[in-house]
Amino acid sequence: MKIKATLIAAAATSLMLIGCGKPAAPTEETPKPESASSPSAAAESAAPDTTEPKRLSIFSWSEYIPQSVIDDFAKETGIKVSVENYASNEEMLAKLMAGGGAYDIIQPSEYVIEALVKEDALHPIDHAAIPNLKNIGPDFLNMAFDPGNKFSVPFMAGTVGIVVNTELVKDEILGYNDVFQDKYKGQIVVLDDAREIVSWAFETLDIPINEVTPENLEKAKPLLQKWLPLVQVYDSDSPKTALLNGDVALGIVWGGEGAKLLQENEKFKWVIPAEGSHLFVDSLAIPKTAKHPKNAELFMNYILRPEVSKLISDEFPYTNPNLAARQLLTPEQLNNPASFPTEEEIKTLKLFKDIGDQASQVDELVTTIKSQ
Amino acid sequence: MAAAGQIMAGSSGAFRRKPSLLAWLVFAPLAIWLLLFVILPTGMLVALSFAEQRGLGTIHFTWSLDNYARAFQWTWLKVLLVSVWYAFLTTIICMVLGYPVAYYIGRSGPRTREILLALVMIPFWTSFLIRTYAWITILSKEGLLNTVLMSMNIISEPLTLMYTPFASVLGLVYNFLPFMILPIYSSVERLDGAMIEAAHDLGAGPVRAFSQIIIPLTSPGIAAGALLVFIPSIAMFAITNLMGGGRQPTIGQVIYNQFTAGRNQPFGAALGTLLLIIFILALYLTKRYRKE
Repeated sequence: MKIKATLIAAAATSLMLIGCGKPAAPTEETPKPESASSPSAAAESAAPDTTEPKRLSIFSWSEYIPQSVIDDFAKETGIKVSVENYASNEEMLAKLMAGGGAYDIIQPSEYVIEALVKEDALHPIDHAAIPNLKNIGPDFLNMAFDPGNKFSVPFMAGTVGIVVNTELVKDEILGYNDVFQDKYKGQIVVLDDAREIVSWAFETLDIPINEVTPENLEKAKPLLQKWLPLVQVYDSDSPKTALLNGDVALGIVWGGEGAKLLQENEKFKWVIPAEGSHLFVDSLAIPKTAKHPKNAELFMNYILRPEVSKLISDEFPYTNPNLAARQLLTPEQLNNPASFPTEEEIKTLKLFKDIGDQASQVDELVTTIKSQ
Repeated sequence: MAAAGQIMAGSSGAFRRKPSLLAWLVFAPLAIWLLLFVILPTGMLVALSFAEQRGLGTIHFTWSLDNYARAFQWTWLKVLLVSVWYAFLTTIICMVLGYPVAYYIGRSGPRTREILLALVMIPFWTSFLIRTYAWITILSKEGLLNTVLMSMNIISEPLTLMYTPFASVLGLVYNFLPFMILPIYSSVERLDGAMIEAAHDLGAGPVRAFSQIIIPLTSPGIAAGALLVFIPSIAMFAITNLMGGGRQPTIGQVIYNQFTAGRNQPFGAALGTLLLIIFILALYLTKRYRKE
């Protein structure tokens, strides 16, 4: 799906180019890293290991690491960076497991890290090489999927919530059950992601979201049969489009997408579903097969610099786990409820665990109901 | 396209002589291309369809028919049938819209013909995603069409056009219409005017001349066009997702899901193999229709 997103982004950019006759991308000159004489920068320039060729191969989500950040890293370190993108965790896993391409950095979500650690597929990271890990908030360190952060460094986190167009929906919307009402038939956009959709039904039925068994799926089926016919659009790549164009009035979308809608127009409201939602944490990790693990650690440390992490937040307004970077954000950015859930909200959010072979059953259930 | 048609049509009276070394050399790049990019991947796909995926994505070749047994469950068959139906509808609409256009272009003077052909092909100069996005800005509730219709007081409430089956088929027809027009055009261009005159001289009215002379004579173009529209529109899911809202899963989407979030590549391969069989069947039927 994200392949599509990349293509669309490319298409949209070209449209914009045609539209305004000037490139839209580079906003402002970022301060030259060389001129920054902060102690941390000095420490890092001493760090590079000369035994490794100056190369780094990144395998990341599309639309997640701004190109400018990668360019600046390459300029500062002289490391030649190549980037490949993937559209879903599973796509990344398939390539990694097939042994295609020796990637130095991958960007898996929490449940994938858990699975990769179990398979002994990750290279342990050297904390001495990543002093900037101290910038990450304690809430995002030492999480259940990787105790002690032996294998991963948090990149961005986020949640899934409800966006309400208050001009079109006057009732108060508090949770999934308020969204999926007959009167909103044809007014709803949801993520095109079977695991997500099923987890919403589980939350509503008080089934733990990670207990994906055939029995529990059977229990969720009647609810999903009631819900899904009401949906007008399934879109994981850019669910904000249908909301922005006024084609739908309600959406269950990624936090980052919600944040952009809230920035765009005050009529949009963000709600963390009362029934419950989950927190996703996308991290950086080094596969066992990596050829340049030292360079990968250098990159991790670079990404964790407050000023670099801020640039990522500017472009992709997810929940930034980097507390030092948060201090550089504007009050508007920090007060965006879709980017930064409150402390109480975060406490209620759960984490996805790997469901292995059940993924196939989840996909079949949702496909069956959709095509009914 | 026309060349392909000739090869197909001419295969019965083949040129029987032992090919020289030079002929083999000329043929070699094509043979290598076919082997690497057609035969090998197809073989891999078919082999994968008899395997099983375990854990994080390792493939185990169990040589069982389980994936096919699952593929014939109603859920997946229905998805396949719906996709075939959309493709069929797209082909018919393209034929009805495309034939008159192709005929007109084929029968007009050389200058007009050039301009019209260029106009048919101009949309291909931009990515189909950009063109699909353009449709979204036209059809959405706050889009161009609704705004115009409302300001002219033709409608009072915006019409729901986007994210409907109508939008899906519209997107498909729009994208594949040129694939119908061009082969029909090349048949019409070669149409012998004397034949039509003869039909009229022998007392055939316009309807009869059209149905008994023009249609049969241009049928190779119609068949080629139908194939070129039908086959890609079965598996096309970017357009149906973007414009149809992804409410009705199509076979392309379902196969894609098996390779990604569904974590069942062998099952995806089995569905892909079934699709391949449908394509071969379509090709065979078209060929038979042409021989008649």
